[in-house]
Amino acid sequence: MKRYEMIIVGAGPAGLSAAIEAAALGMDVAVFDENARPGGQLFKQIHKFFGSKEHHAKERGFRIGEDLLKQAEETGVHVFLNATVMGIYDEKEVMVKMDGQVVHYKADTVIIATGAAENMIPFKGWDTPGVIGAGAAQALMNLQGVMPGKRVLMVGSGNVGLVVSFQLLQAGCEVAAVIDAAPRIGGYGVHASKVARTGVPFMTRHTVVEALGTDRVEGAVIAEVDSHFQPIPGTEKTLDVDTICIAVGLSPMSQLADSAGCQMEFAPRRGGNVPVVDEFGETSVRGVYCAGDVAGIEEASSAMLLGRISAAHAAVSLGYLDQESFDQRVSSYHASLGQLREGMFAPQNRGRTDITQTDEGFAISQSLLAHGYVTEEELKAFPAAATGKKGIHPVIECTQNIPCDPCQDACKFGCIKVGSNITKLPVVDPDHTCSGCGMCVACCSGQAIFLVDETYEPGFATVGIPYEFVPYPEPGSKGTALDRSGAPVCEAEVISCKAARAMDKTALLTMKVPVEFASTARFYQA
Amino acid sequence: MSKMIRTAPTTAFQEMPDDNMIICRCEEITKGEIRRAVYDGFRTTNEVKRWLRCGMGLCQGQTCQRNFQNIIARELGIPVAELGIITGRCPVRPVEIQTFADEVVNAEEA
Amino acid sequence: MAAEKRTADVVIIGGGIVACATAYNLAKRGMTNILVLEQKEIGNGGSCRNAGGVRQSARDPRELPLAMHAVSQIWPTLGEELGCDVEYVQKGNLRLGIEEKHRTVLENHVKKSTDVGLDVWMVSGDEAREICPAMSERVLCASWCPTDGHANPLKTTLGYYRRALAMGVTFVSGVTVTGIRKVRGRARLVETTDGVYEGEQILLCAGYESRAIANTVGIDVPVERQFNEVLVTEACPRSFDVMIGVAGGEFYGHQSDHGSFVLGGNSGLQAFESNRRTRFATDSRTAPSISRGIMTYFPSLANVKVVRTWAGAYDQCVDVLPVIDRISEVPGLTVAFGFSGHGFGIAPATGVAVSELLLDGASTTIDISALTYDRFKAKG
Repeated sequence: MKRYEMIIVGAGPAGLSAAIEAAALGMDVAVFDENARPGGQLFKQIHKFFGSKEHHAKERGFRIGEDLLKQAEETGVHVFLNATVMGIYDEKEVMVKMDGQVVHYKADTVIIATGAAENMIPFKGWDTPGVIGAGAAQALMNLQGVMPGKRVLMVGSGNVGLVVSFQLLQAGCEVAAVIDAAPRIGGYGVHASKVARTGVPFMTRHTVVEALGTDRVEGAVIAEVDSHFQPIPGTEKTLDVDTICIAVGLSPMSQLADSAGCQMEFAPRRGGNVPVVDEFGETSVRGVYCAGDVAGIEEASSAMLLGRISAAHAAVSLGYLDQESFDQRVSSYHASLGQLREGMFAPQNRGRTDITQTDEGFAISQSLLAHGYVTEEELKAFPAAATGKKGIHPVIECTQNIPCDPCQDACKFGCIKVGSNITKLPVVDPDHTCSGCGMCVACCSGQAIFLVDETYEPGFATVGIPYEFVPYPEPGSKGTALDRSGAPVCEAEVISCKAARAMDKTALLTMKVPVEFASTARFYQA
Repeated sequence: MSKMIRTAPTTAFQEMPDDNMIICRCEEITKGEIRRAVYDGFRTTNEVKRWLRCGMGLCQGQTCQRNFQNIIARELGIPVAELGIITGRCPVRPVEIQTFADEVVNAEEA
Repeated sequence: MAAEKRTADVVIIGGGIVACATAYNLAKRGMTNILVLEQKEIGNGGSCRNAGGVRQSARDPRELPLAMHAVSQIWPTLGEELGCDVEYVQKGNLRLGIEEKHRTVLENHVKKSTDVGLDVWMVSGDEAREICPAMSERVLCASWCPTDGHANPLKTTLGYYRRALAMGVTFVSGVTVTGIRKVRGRARLVETTDGVYEGEQILLCAGYESRAIANTVGIDVPVERQFNEVLVTEACPRSFDVMIGVAGGEFYGHQSDHGSFVLGGNSGLQAFESNRRTRFATDSRTAPSISRGIMTYFPSLANVKVVRTWAGAYDQCVDVLPVIDRISEVPGLTVAFGFSGHGFGIAPATGVAVSELLLDGASTTIDISALTYDRFKAKG
């Protein structure tokens, strides 16, 4: 039987990273993926990633995928596409469906990196066409170029719900509301803010109770929920939508691990039924590993590291790495993973509601958690968001400890500092002068940096905002400036819309507004 | 599986307004059928699955398992972790009989 | 809260179809002070892991009375009795041959069955195709037993459980029986991981795990665990109603009421797997092997999709027949195991026979006199 030293199931971020790691160490590696193109979910991810440079921060997901593929090719990984692993048997035998046949392979080590699938919540009419998963919406838009609907209700305010809401807006859909049954928005505040400032309302403590329409969705009924997440009668509201997008979390696709005999456990914080794994991702079956979302839902950045860790462990077990090099290598991966697992959104803090202050001791915005934007009053606690300086300067509205630091590398004058703990809030150094280049604006994956110049013209200020909607407005065109909540505040004139190559399609849109709106105008509506 | 003592129910089955809501889309099993199965004595994920077929369809429980487990757990007043899980089975994706029959045991060197 | 039930008129070890059917029959006759002890889940073993055959043909004459009683007296009305659709279909059993040597095998079976009064006969390939048009031109001949059929093992096993429970039987799952202990000359105590249970009588019907438990009171029956696998397809439009078997043994099965094909078999390599396996895992060679069998006899199913495969273990007895008996040398102990992979179809009759053993001291309705525990003799 054809045998590989490592068989990897799934060519997503975890699987490809594992393959590259193992192949670079000299192992004979095969990766099987059921899809026609590799990369897993990365190819739907058109937004910029968080983390630091080593985690591919500020790169867009699909670019990371392309990069991983290139590396896999260079290291000699055998990538089989349209190749569905159907079962993993005793003695690490892997059965693969490919070209109308089932092919048996054996492996010395197996890494299961099958990822996760979307959760659905049942409600009246949830099986009506037009109720779709957020990931499905993303696939339609970003892979197939199809708009999922005209007017969409987003159910769920985790990062997936927030990111997809923004992408729906980019694709030209209207987002009627983002709702969540929890009392607070689940995802990063910065992701929520970029949606909120376009005028999308957030409604926490709300759930969808009915999809209207028989042949397709013709509306959605939502209602407020009580503390047990049960709808409160009499609070129902009908929204005019044609699509209901569900983003209520992911469940690991762990069936292969179960079929391979790996001990399983129900771990709600990791997403449901997951294999029991050790710090290297090894399951109860020796030589069978699980890496990435299949072993517990996290971000793609973590999945890439987890893949590498499992691969390194497999390599040391087969003599491709000595113990000392392994220890060194894996401790650096663990440290890097540790950085991503810090902050208020870390896996260990999932579901916690008692975090009221940032690590720096600033009060966390309650408005951000409830409505998706920080109020002007609340922002005063954050020095980096201060306005009122002379000349052009960055205003950083980054108010939660999330693992991200590209802003500090973005400013070539060293104006912005995060430090080595990447979950710290950025600090603006008052001694450095801002050139107004806009790189910090473009590099901020959370689109939370603005360039404000309150001394632009007598009575007028300019506000530079990150802008990712096409077509870009022409200089001189006039529109409306919206505040953080998406409410119109004043007329705005576009001074420029700059999108240098290095800005990777996040344009710096500079608009002129009356000076009294310098600290409120945060979005431009044509 | 932890110990479960099973005796006949002592109260009548209570219907709920949303009992006709489909939970398992592949096999078209409703919330009411699942609640009734629990009332009738089926106490684990697999017992309910074997009685009703929920989770036996094309998705093999990837979509519905979580939702019907939540219903069982709520009816029994026990944590989902105690219900057991649907066994992961080959093939994890549906495969035609003729494909299954056409087996390559010694794949050529790639 | 009432004290936990620890004693009963009958303590039943095992929660499969024999346990559930016996408990139901006992309850029907007024005995409900029963405790059923199950290690995992109700029906988790072979009871829910079989292809649902309900046949009399190709059975050993010694267990044929059970099969004939089940088919004539119980199966036709079992659904009504249990208040659930057990999907019993009595549309016959075709056992197919594609080679001349199969004809001999089938003729042998037919002779044995007709000798004990069963209506079974040989049909030609064309006659077989008339009964079941979906099959291949390659089928040369078949044995045909029109009174055979199939049912849904899950609904039947769990249907018995549900009725027995509603009638007042107590089931305890999640406890593992470790042994039986005698008190003053009678089997009385059942030792478990959850302490001791006590019964006026004890029924041991725990499949292949019965052997080790019987050993604790000095009784040994030569049964071993064997694996078979089944593959289940997506639901399809109705294609045939008959139960199918093949003389070559490649597969067996039927199309279920739901529309899925339920097709079982083994790769021929499993007999030597039994001691190695620790779980109901499928192996890599069986499903392809069964699939090739299906392609030979039913090429029209080529594009039907398999949605899952599963493995089941059964309690193969050395003479491929069950032991259903009161253990005379251990008063108080009754056993029913060793069904050897064909216990489902006769289980409703087994339930009747065993309930009579427990209540009346003998099975009077059905002749099970050949199924004694001490029938095993050395060949020399």
